[in-house]
Amino acid sequence: MEQLVKTEKVVTNFYTYEGVVKALNGVSVEVRKGETYGLVGESGCGKSVTVRSIMRIVQSPGRIEDGKILLFFSDTDRNQAVDILKRSEAFMQTIRGNEISMIFQEASTSLNPVLSIEYQIGESFRLHRMPEILRETIDELQANLDKKKIPFVSGWKKFQISLFNRQKETLENYERLIDSIEFQLAELEDDGTSKNRRLKDELNRKRDMLRKDDRLVMFFRRFPFLRRYYRRINPVIHRKVVNLLKELGVPNPENIARSYPHELSGGMQQRIVIAIALACHPRILIADEPTSNLDVTIQAQILDMIRVLKETTISSVLFITHDLGVVAEICDRVTVMYAGDTCETAEVKELFQKPLHPYTKALLRSVPKVRQEEALATIPGVVPNLVNPPTGCRFHPRCESAMDICKREKPPLFTYAPGHTVSCHLYTSKEAKS
Amino acid sequence: MISIEKTIDADVSINIFLKTEKNHVNLLNYIIRRLLLMILVLFGVSLIVFSIMMIIPPGQRVAIYVKSEKVTPAQMEALIEKYGMNDPAPIQYARWIGNIFQGDFGYSETAKGPVIEGFKQYFPITLELVLLSTPLIILVGVWLGTLGAVHKDKPVDHFTRVFAVIGYSLPTFWLGLMLLMLFYGLLGIFPPGQISNVGKDVISSPEWNRVTGLICLDGIINGRWDIVWDGFYHLILPAFNLVILSCALILRLMRSSMLESLGQDYIRTALAKGADRGTINRIHARRNALIPVITISGLMFAGLMAGMVITETIFNRKGIGLWMARAALQLDVPAIMFNVLFLGTIFAVVNLIVDILYAYVDPRIRLT
Repeated sequence: MEQLVKTEKVVTNFYTYEGVVKALNGVSVEVRKGETYGLVGESGCGKSVTVRSIMRIVQSPGRIEDGKILLFFSDTDRNQAVDILKRSEAFMQTIRGNEISMIFQEASTSLNPVLSIEYQIGESFRLHRMPEILRETIDELQANLDKKKIPFVSGWKKFQISLFNRQKETLENYERLIDSIEFQLAELEDDGTSKNRRLKDELNRKRDMLRKDDRLVMFFRRFPFLRRYYRRINPVIHRKVVNLLKELGVPNPENIARSYPHELSGGMQQRIVIAIALACHPRILIADEPTSNLDVTIQAQILDMIRVLKETTISSVLFITHDLGVVAEICDRVTVMYAGDTCETAEVKELFQKPLHPYTKALLRSVPKVRQEEALATIPGVVPNLVNPPTGCRFHPRCESAMDICKREKPPLFTYAPGHTVSCHLYTSKEAKS
Repeated sequence: MISIEKTIDADVSINIFLKTEKNHVNLLNYIIRRLLLMILVLFGVSLIVFSIMMIIPPGQRVAIYVKSEKVTPAQMEALIEKYGMNDPAPIQYARWIGNIFQGDFGYSETAKGPVIEGFKQYFPITLELVLLSTPLIILVGVWLGTLGAVHKDKPVDHFTRVFAVIGYSLPTFWLGLMLLMLFYGLLGIFPPGQISNVGKDVISSPEWNRVTGLICLDGIINGRWDIVWDGFYHLILPAFNLVILSCALILRLMRSSMLESLGQDYIRTALAKGADRGTINRIHARRNALIPVITISGLMFAGLMAGMVITETIFNRKGIGLWMARAALQLDVPAIMFNVLFLGTIFAVVNLIVDILYAYVDPRIRLT
């Protein structure tokens, strides 16, 4: 299967007052087209930081220090990758919410309490589908104009159309230019000669000079009363929002769109968060524990919704959870993470039937089973403080089959079977084999 | 089955429609209810004011009106008896309130006329300064606070913080005097007072149509742009003084609440949506951050109406603060009582406006 997103040895650190929190210690994950990929682990093991690194929204004081995050989004060439760590923030803004979207745990705090649902969903359209919206607005205005002709009003409407046209042209121009500049920048990346650096600086400057908005349009939108003309785009956005909510099977979309987050139930809020993420039909949806803090029936509904959406609109889902039951239900492949390390990656069935890493084994033992008689197994100890993580394998202080080498060296990635990798000294070192 | 569902849907939509209709009625209802409550509050204020007045012995209350030093104690007794100052408190209170309802607030010695005339003379001077400086204070405070929060721990942030500390800790009289010394004393611009001598002649001439008492506004009404400029010219320095001293509080508040809302989860959602920093700061963070600022701004507006004694003294503006200070010193009881009642009304009205603004900014707050 073709790969879609791939991270290679990503290192993300947080520079706090207590010291440097080494949250990610070289994480490599790979999401393929058409699959649901699970990321499992205890709280604080770096699942969320991993996906935030992929989105490049690691919030201060965090920084992505090293590694590669590759996106394979080109429709023509499957192997053409874009390393987003080398791209600009402006480029990332065109990717976020458009190609990669994210939904969060705690929908109630993820929605802005003072903005209406319509605005919050519509913002995705405003950010990524503006030319389309403008085109529809212009069409509507034109239709209005053709229907009735009143001397002065018609003139004003014609002027509005010209304003919208200007905005659309500038925006399309901007998108085209920024694409070409980004492409040139990416081409220049490889060698580090001074001539290249000069060219790069020049391109960067050129990109920063580009304007998203026409001066005349900006002038009209800056002043009260003059900017009232801009409200013409609202009905278009409203229609899009209502259509989206209908597609997602939200009952009563008109009224939901008009309401505010606090007026909705938890499950409905989570649906709205999903709607925001899906507005622009992303290639990949990152779901960061979307079902925690919801009751079980709503959980099932949300999971169903994501599963259906995966089949219809989005190609891949990256699913984060600490619930192994959810993993078994929804994921195709899973990576188990511990303290900023990836322990084991496998197909779901394989992982549940044949866990290799001691941590995976321990995790599976601590899941309650039907007709369980004996006491539930636990993993002794706690997740280490990542300011001073354990040397070597980060799991060794809690591992029951720890060896001397585990304290010294970080275990390499070992391919146990096709599609099943594990990083543990048990399978690679001589000490274990002897 | 489908038809039933449809009817249910229609029902729900009708309900919600009714709810939004109701909201407008609610607002009007709410305002009326609050205004009625305000009468109660003002009654309480008047009781307190009256009891403060009653602490002063009748002799002293009469004494300020007595100019001649040759009045005998017997004559004083007669005066006290004549004005009913020895009557039981409820009767005196009823008389006072009765007079107020007839528009008679008594005679003010410091204003050399009826209290209401003094108010008409002094209040516009204060109002003009407050109306000019409060928007400036809020704008500058919100702007600098946002700037500081957005560029946290950068030079801009340090600069605004130092500015806030300086503004917060400078004494009013010191800064006012320094400004006067620098601008008027050294450079000869921005004189103290409320209007130049030439302008004074114009506004006291019989042709001058005094509508509001605000010099700038009256100038516009009379079409005298030189007077507008004259009044504004005298406002600049005291307004500047107030902005520096008062915007520190708004700045600090705005910075901290902006920082708080920038750390919220919905900012992360907006980031993940692909919003740029400008949109996030302007739309997602600032509106949430403004909520506490509104309270303080309202209180500050009301407070400035009352407490600009020092600013008005230094810049020689004959405003309400100056009048109250003088009235308090000379035991001008009717003036004090009127002003306290007036400020009570101002505070109550400002609180009402703040509550309505709250509901406007934050949809979670319902006016009930």
